[in-house]
Amino acid sequence: MNEDLSQGPDVSVVVIVYNDEARLPTAVDSVLRQTLRSVEVVIVDDHSTDGSYEVAQDLARRHPGRVSAHRLDENSGGCGAPRNHGIRQARGTYVLFLDSDDVLERNACRNMLEAAETTGADLVSGLCVRVHVDARSGKEVKWYPWLYTRTRTLESISELPDLLVFDTLSTNKCYRRAFLLEQGLEFPVGIHYEDLLFSAQAYVAARRITLIPNRVYDWNVVDKGTTRSISNRRAEIANFAHRMEIHRRVDRLLADRGLAELKFCKDVKFLKHDLVLHLRDLPFRDASYREEFAGIARAYLESLDRAALDEVEPVHAICAYLLRRSDWDNLLPAVDTLTNRDKISSPLVERDGRVYWCARHLDDGDAAERALARHVLDVTELGHHTKSLEKMFLRNVLTGYEASAGTVRLTGRIVNPLGVVPPGARLTGELEFAARRKGVRLQTFRFPVRTLRHEGESLAWEASADLARGLRPLGVVDAVWDVRLRLGVDGVRTTTRLTACEPGLAVGDAPVRPRLTRLVAGRVTPEVSARGHLAFRVLTREKVDELVVRGVRGTPGRLVKSGYRKARAARKKLTSGPTKIRIYHEVFSRLPVKKRLVVFESHLGRQYSDSPKALYEEMRRQDLDFEAVWSYAGAGPAGFPADATLVRRWSLPYLKALARAEFWIDNQSYPLKLTKRPRTTYLQTWHGSALKRMGFDEPEWKLRSRAAQEEQQRVLDRFDRFLIRSEHDVRTLARAFRLKERTLLRVGYPRNDELVRAGRLEEETGRRERGPLAAELGIPDDRAVLLYAPTFRHRGGKRRRFELPFDVERFADEFGDRYVLLVRSHYLDHVVLPPSVRGRVLDVSAHHDVTPLLALADGLITDYSSVMFDYALLGRPMFFFAYDYEEYVHEGRGTYFDLLERAPGPVVRTEEELYVALASLDEQAVKYEEARKGFVAEFGEYDKGTAARSVVDEFFAHWRRA
Amino acid sequence: MTAVDGLVDGPVTADADPRRDVFLVSNSVDELGGVTSWSHQMARLLTARGHRLHVVGITPSAVPQELGAVPYPMTTLYAGQPPRPGRAREASIREEALKLTALFRAARPGAVVIVTQVWAMEWVARADTRGLTVIGMSHESYAYSRASSRFHRVRRWYRDVDRMLALTREDADLWIGQGLNNASYLPNPLPFMPQVPSARTEKAVVSIGRLHDQKGIDMLLDTWAEVAPRHPDWRLRIHGSGEDEEMLRKRCTALGLDGSVDWMGRTDDVPGALRAGSVFVQSSRGEGFPLALMEAMATGLPCAAFDCAPGVREIVRDGEDGLLAAVGNTGELARRLDTLMSDKGLRDVMGERARVNVQRYAPAEIVRRWEGLFGFLER
Repeated sequence: MNEDLSQGPDVSVVVIVYNDEARLPTAVDSVLRQTLRSVEVVIVDDHSTDGSYEVAQDLARRHPGRVSAHRLDENSGGCGAPRNHGIRQARGTYVLFLDSDDVLERNACRNMLEAAETTGADLVSGLCVRVHVDARSGKEVKWYPWLYTRTRTLESISELPDLLVFDTLSTNKCYRRAFLLEQGLEFPVGIHYEDLLFSAQAYVAARRITLIPNRVYDWNVVDKGTTRSISNRRAEIANFAHRMEIHRRVDRLLADRGLAELKFCKDVKFLKHDLVLHLRDLPFRDASYREEFAGIARAYLESLDRAALDEVEPVHAICAYLLRRSDWDNLLPAVDTLTNRDKISSPLVERDGRVYWCARHLDDGDAAERALARHVLDVTELGHHTKSLEKMFLRNVLTGYEASAGTVRLTGRIVNPLGVVPPGARLTGELEFAARRKGVRLQTFRFPVRTLRHEGESLAWEASADLARGLRPLGVVDAVWDVRLRLGVDGVRTTTRLTACEPGLAVGDAPVRPRLTRLVAGRVTPEVSARGHLAFRVLTREKVDELVVRGVRGTPGRLVKSGYRKARAARKKLTSGPTKIRIYHEVFSRLPVKKRLVVFESHLGRQYSDSPKALYEEMRRQDLDFEAVWSYAGAGPAGFPADATLVRRWSLPYLKALARAEFWIDNQSYPLKLTKRPRTTYLQTWHGSALKRMGFDEPEWKLRSRAAQEEQQRVLDRFDRFLIRSEHDVRTLARAFRLKERTLLRVGYPRNDELVRAGRLEEETGRRERGPLAAELGIPDDRAVLLYAPTFRHRGGKRRRFELPFDVERFADEFGDRYVLLVRSHYLDHVVLPPSVRGRVLDVSAHHDVTPLLALADGLITDYSSVMFDYALLGRPMFFFAYDYEEYVHEGRGTYFDLLERAPGPVVRTEEELYVALASLDEQAVKYEEARKGFVAEFGEYDKGTAARSVVDEFFAHWRRA
Repeated sequence: MTAVDGLVDGPVTADADPRRDVFLVSNSVDELGGVTSWSHQMARLLTARGHRLHVVGITPSAVPQELGAVPYPMTTLYAGQPPRPGRAREASIREEALKLTALFRAARPGAVVIVTQVWAMEWVARADTRGLTVIGMSHESYAYSRASSRFHRVRRWYRDVDRMLALTREDADLWIGQGLNNASYLPNPLPFMPQVPSARTEKAVVSIGRLHDQKGIDMLLDTWAEVAPRHPDWRLRIHGSGEDEEMLRKRCTALGLDGSVDWMGRTDDVPGALRAGSVFVQSSRGEGFPLALMEAMATGLPCAAFDCAPGVREIVRDGEDGLLAAVGNTGELARRLDTLMSDKGLRDVMGERARVNVQRYAPAEIVRRWEGLFGFLER
């Protein structure tokens, strides 16, 4: 193909500059060094007062035909005018924009040109990377990388609204020049945020848009120099006004083009991001700034689609709502929650069975206004009403600060949401000062809280901290001290931070007694963190600062730092998984096997439950002579038996116990990498019969390479015995795990002994006994108990709150006088019940063991959970709420049999059908009696109520005491 | 020659003559495998277009492939194997790279070096390639590279070539995500186009591939165990040989499939083997840009395959000219096979579409794209 310079180059890069002579050559160089050679540089100087224009002219002289220099007659003060001028000067088929302080990636032009020519797009956009130039480790942050994971071509921006909504830059893009000219696309002049409008116009006008995953543009960011001054604040308000104006113009553009859906996405993003950005600063500002800000924001908020409020998190919607209502008393706490995500910053209020952010507004105005308020302020789904105090992060506002003679007197108020702290409670409190240092625990200092009492909807407190005597910093390494208030309510403790962003509140230094020398730590001064929390900074003399910097940067500092890093690396290595596995094999496994030592575990240590528990209790009941170790994972060993040695999973004592044990008993798997010693016997109880395909019948397993499959098989071959409750298990589980016939133990599940016995007793006596659990849960005798136990569902992406597939409030209304519904979600799912269903629907997910719940329930509702096989033993009615059966069966790994054909109870698909089926338990009990018996015969033939005893007889009989 | 140096600062004026000197550099010129077949197919195609080809190998191959007479020169740098990695290897590479430099210097302006395997790039990188366009290729899926040492070598040695080529857009995008900003892609050409397609009347499902873990014949047997009972009159013909044959035959017996599976051994007549079937099945754990699928489609067979690589979903348009199943999900693959085996009309429609659609990889089209790329990289 013949190129002729007179035809113009493939690409023109418009480089704009204003008073940036030092960096301009680097930007231009990044264009001249492009792998695509057919590129020209058009430099436009916005009438700089330094030598930028001369530098530009010099570059043009040195690269004739490739670089040209232009200058605006007067300074425009923005990016719009110079870029518009550049578009007019450009000769290339395509145009890009580059700022004088940024650079283009080497292949940017080639990649954009290739994309444009292969797809015929008017606009090609690539990945921009923000490079933090003064960060020590060369920090880089990709700009909305999820938009740029793969090459894709859009025929219209409405195919990907997020592109317009999020990537509002004009610089990471390549425009067909004829497209710009035909459409008359120009940057607005005389207003900031010109990129937002220009890119929106370009997106909307483009006939085709191609996105490429290539890095094209390095946006160099300077982090230093972000001090906030008054003049800055004036500028901030002006900027905010500009921003709102640009938003209004973009909205108008979208409206003109009939792109309502894009406008909606943009509204959602505005609530979630733009508004948040500004709101976070509000608590730090004075009242006049807040008013001015609110005035500008309110007008724009009115133009947002109300439905957008439903698409954002409750706190975002609440902030927008309260800002519109200018309710500062409730808004500022809400902003605190916006900044500190889990903080409960409002006293909350329960009304008509729902929980609201605040009581105000709920009864304001006309019906529509009330409905809106109740809709937005409803925070029931956050589940604050179900949390215990120690799980709450409460807002604690500093109301007074006074420093005199080495003592800091502090007063404050702690929010008391829904009265979680009862009036008569015994209250204790202390202030804790701890050095802020990641990964290192330095000393903490405590000061008592003098008074602590209820005052309206909050707890008021007062404390004096004698810092001059009580706070003893080292200096340098503990430069910042965070302050926390630890609150005790009848012995239950929770930690609060002190919110102190009100301007001018926390002012006044205090002397401290340093542990080393006054040179490095003589005084502390209060400061407020970005999250609004009070801290103290240790003041050093300036000269010392300088010395310290020199020391830290110089050889001694380097040595100390590298020594410290090495020590940390060594510690990390010592406690890493691979090291532990080595210790297990090379140290612990050399110790002799300890007779009568049994290690128990259930569900990877998460629970004290299931067959391991049933076996353990049988062994204790028979008073066998053995040493029991139970493994636990997670927060702590609460709920595990006190008469066993408790070890944390993966701790050294755990590994030691496993290495020395005579028996391993669990229901899932001990760590895969641990080799079982030949003299240890592994009893695998397993945790349920299979509906879903398992093991080597699962695609994931089949897919593995032969080597990986062999490795997996070695793990499975550790099982010496595997408990079986029917021939169905033999055909499914045993085959899927490729277990040898001799490992199979056809005795049934120990966990089910209780159910078989209960079923039998009921049949003999004709009466159903309710154990202590009913009273514990507060279930009245005249209500039947239904248990809803769905299986765990994999949802793509992050774990989200589990949504019940039916309306619990409606259930409570229809059946509350007859049934109590117990909801047991999978331990990975979390369910929140509104206060309105209190006493009628109960969340029992926290109960370790499901068996007592099964025994209590008069009926079971499930979908595909394996509890169906166990519950069937009781001979009570079962309901299968299979609302997503096809999806579950076909998109998942498949099932061993068709539940629709074999279910021993009604299979329902909708909430309506479920309610109809639930209308009469007795009727269902009779109708499906035969089906249930068949189901038990097929899937639970070996469950005879004697599983635990059989296992003890076979393996532990000789441990009986004479 | 003289013009080249003068064009550093300014758009390059392409040679009026579109015919170029092209060097194809591989580990060996004739080792057994897909890259060798590809290299010589491309070399013949480009020669036919008037380009001057030179096929270069680094070392002689252990298991050579029969090439027949070739219409272009071939050079192999080493007589034996290069020294083990270390200082001696470094010195040796530099020395042998001089031979490459000599070849490259003698080329006319606009010459192109295509490195087909990243190992060979270690030599090309040390040669003087100024004024030449260097293209580095990865002839496998990104995921397959990712699992091997080639992943780091590709990122290191192809970082500065003029273009790094993967097999599909999807693979290229993944390489770009790893910072290879010069990555793009070009598919392989169709190896042959049979004059006569399959009549699709034989009740036979065909599989062609080495009997090796990667080809997933174990999963094919699991799949067939679900399909066969529903179609007692159909046969599964497994072509290929390999180390796993005995194990796979045992498994076949254990699954009770001996009555419907034929072990055909290695075939030299791929078109014949394909014509004798009505459906093609591929159950691989991993693939690059599988030629077997293209060949089957060219023969007019509808394919049922595991969607194990971007190349597979690129070649087969799921639901249009073949059916894909999630990799490893034998139940799903069985349902796909069942669909094709139960419906002669669907087989015919998809088979005919496959034969037409696979033309987008016709040699003439692929050569056109290569020549377009040569020109583009000069701009």
